[in-house]
Amino acid sequence: MHRRRLLAFLLASILVAPFAANAQKPIKVGMPMPLSGPPALFGEPASKGAMMFVEELNAKGGVLGRKLELIVRDSKGDANEAVRQARELILKDNVDFLVGTLTSAEGPAVSVVAKENKIVFIAPIPKTDQLTAQDKLHPYVFRVAANTTMEGRSAAEIVAKWPVTKIATMSFDYAYGQDVTKAFVEHLKKLKPSAQIVDQQWPKLGEQDYNPFINAQMAKKPEAIFSSIWGGFFVTYSKQARALGVFDAVKYNFIGVGEAGSPETTKSMGADYPVGIWGNSYDAFYWGETAAHKDYTARLSKYLKDEYPSSWAIQGYIGMQFLAEAIKKANSTDGDKVAKTLLGLTVETPIGSQTIREKDHQANRGQLYGKTVMDPKYPFAIMKPLTYVDPTKFMD
Amino acid sequence: MPDPSFVFAQSVSGLTAAMFLFLIASGLSLIFGVLRVLNFAHGTFYMLGAYCAYQFMVWLRPGPGKFWLAALGAALVIAALGGVIERLLFRHLYGKEELYQLLFTYALVLILSDAAKMVWGTQQKSVTRPPELTGAFSVFGAIIPYYNLLIILLGPAIALAVWYVLQRTRVGRFIRAAALDRETLGALGVNVNGLYTWVFVMASFLGGLGGALISPMRATVPGMDTEVIVEAFVVVVIGGLGSFWGTFLGALIYGQVLSFGILFFPRFSIFAVFALMAGVLMIRPWGLLGKPLK
Repeated sequence: MHRRRLLAFLLASILVAPFAANAQKPIKVGMPMPLSGPPALFGEPASKGAMMFVEELNAKGGVLGRKLELIVRDSKGDANEAVRQARELILKDNVDFLVGTLTSAEGPAVSVVAKENKIVFIAPIPKTDQLTAQDKLHPYVFRVAANTTMEGRSAAEIVAKWPVTKIATMSFDYAYGQDVTKAFVEHLKKLKPSAQIVDQQWPKLGEQDYNPFINAQMAKKPEAIFSSIWGGFFVTYSKQARALGVFDAVKYNFIGVGEAGSPETTKSMGADYPVGIWGNSYDAFYWGETAAHKDYTARLSKYLKDEYPSSWAIQGYIGMQFLAEAIKKANSTDGDKVAKTLLGLTVETPIGSQTIREKDHQANRGQLYGKTVMDPKYPFAIMKPLTYVDPTKFMD
Repeated sequence: MPDPSFVFAQSVSGLTAAMFLFLIASGLSLIFGVLRVLNFAHGTFYMLGAYCAYQFMVWLRPGPGKFWLAALGAALVIAALGGVIERLLFRHLYGKEELYQLLFTYALVLILSDAAKMVWGTQQKSVTRPPELTGAFSVFGAIIPYYNLLIILLGPAIALAVWYVLQRTRVGRFIRAAALDRETLGALGVNVNGLYTWVFVMASFLGGLGGALISPMRATVPGMDTEVIVEAFVVVVIGGLGSFWGTFLGALIYGQVLSFGILFFPRFSIFAVFALMAGVLMIRPWGLLGKPLK
């Protein structure tokens, strides 16, 4: 008798369990992101931004009464590894959505996996135009990062106002460097037909010795330089360029895209930073334009235990924010329904209102641009005045 | 015909790159020449040298003369680390198959670089150029930073110092003898194990010093170790494995080919270097100044 009751109880619990669990079951989100190697500089804080969003949302009860569960995996900044991790997340961890990838090689590669598995994939960082180009676009891929067209053109809008005509470019010889430089050059020539490109240098991705490239470029006597040497590589490039007197020679008519103006970069270089050049950044803790941004920065600062929190966290945060908003609005976790809801969706993010266009699944993510100056409040350079360049009018 | 001042500037930047590389490659060549181990982890010693220099600068705070203390301190720390690693781990590799050596030193790369990441994180670190040498001077229309000049002078100075130790001192004679016939030397009553440790310490010192000296010109980031080790290997292969002056010559050639390569193949200058290496390997597989292995 006793045994039979136990058996019945067990049977009942097995039958009931799936239903009971479903109400509690979290919505799983997979995040392939570089957590090792040089791209981890940005991958790690971006994943932290996403985590902060998830923790805050779950504390408020989650979405559709369910919690979000974020599973972060190291993609090592490598397209093959990102694809492997994305597949494993889908097949083994049964994630419902993908938010992640960093490099312009990883993004398009994972997009293919998303398409095959009909899983919504939001790319928060890769910039290459290829990701959302018409022949590569599919219903499940979205981007909340700037793309190379938007970034190159934003820089051209600024350089066109400078009193210079002879311009040189310095970019890595791969997808991102080539695409952003092309967008810059084409838009600049349209805005200012008298502009002349006197030299273009293409060091290999990750070059450590820029001296020969700098000498060759300066021999052409440019009046301004556009650079897309990004992240930690900019530290190396600008130290060597400064030693060779590049910034003085062009009278600081120098613009560094690829986040050369980010607080991480100016902070790590301290007094070595070529103060006076123009740079850009996804975010800046000192921006404080709106109450929402101030509040976000304060929360992030506490979360990361960093007085000057990372400018990359915002990308992970916004990626998750778009996903959560779409799930809520679609009132479903069904991939097709969420994908449809994301089209044309507007979200109030800490950096302002962002909309994903129906046409190319691209958010109107502008970046912050400014001339770097030393500010007595900080032991490193900041961009001031800091302008959010809204790309809406030149995205096509 | 390019402007002569540009040609001059280009050759100076090639020379600077060559001397930086020589600092790294000389340690690699020394270990191979005497210990007969290809030390993949040598690049990681270089990276740790840069991180240590950064750390010392944080502790010492920037000021006149501080950088030199930091660089010397970093090189000594790496030399000590090299000594410990040789005593505890490397010792078991001598005379083993190349595959084991490669796997072991590669494992060391992974372990040490992960340890560095735990200590210093993934964010880039930057060391400021020493205030004594921030300026630059102009010769024949080419701008040469003082710091680069120092490196150009330091390369041959270190080459001569190592040459002197190897050729003119008692220890140097033992080291050369150990490279030729370790058993006989041991039978003659020389402490070969201790000798090997000292060679490893010396090579690690050079690697650590290279990293510390490069830190004001580059970002210190995870992954800088594997980048440099490939370049150092190319230099050593061109010059001849185990040949000290061969390494010097290899570095000089590497620097100039890279600098002038961008004039002829602007987007493929790295290709010129590898083509050169392939050419050397075809004509003299043992390198320019190396000796054929019997």
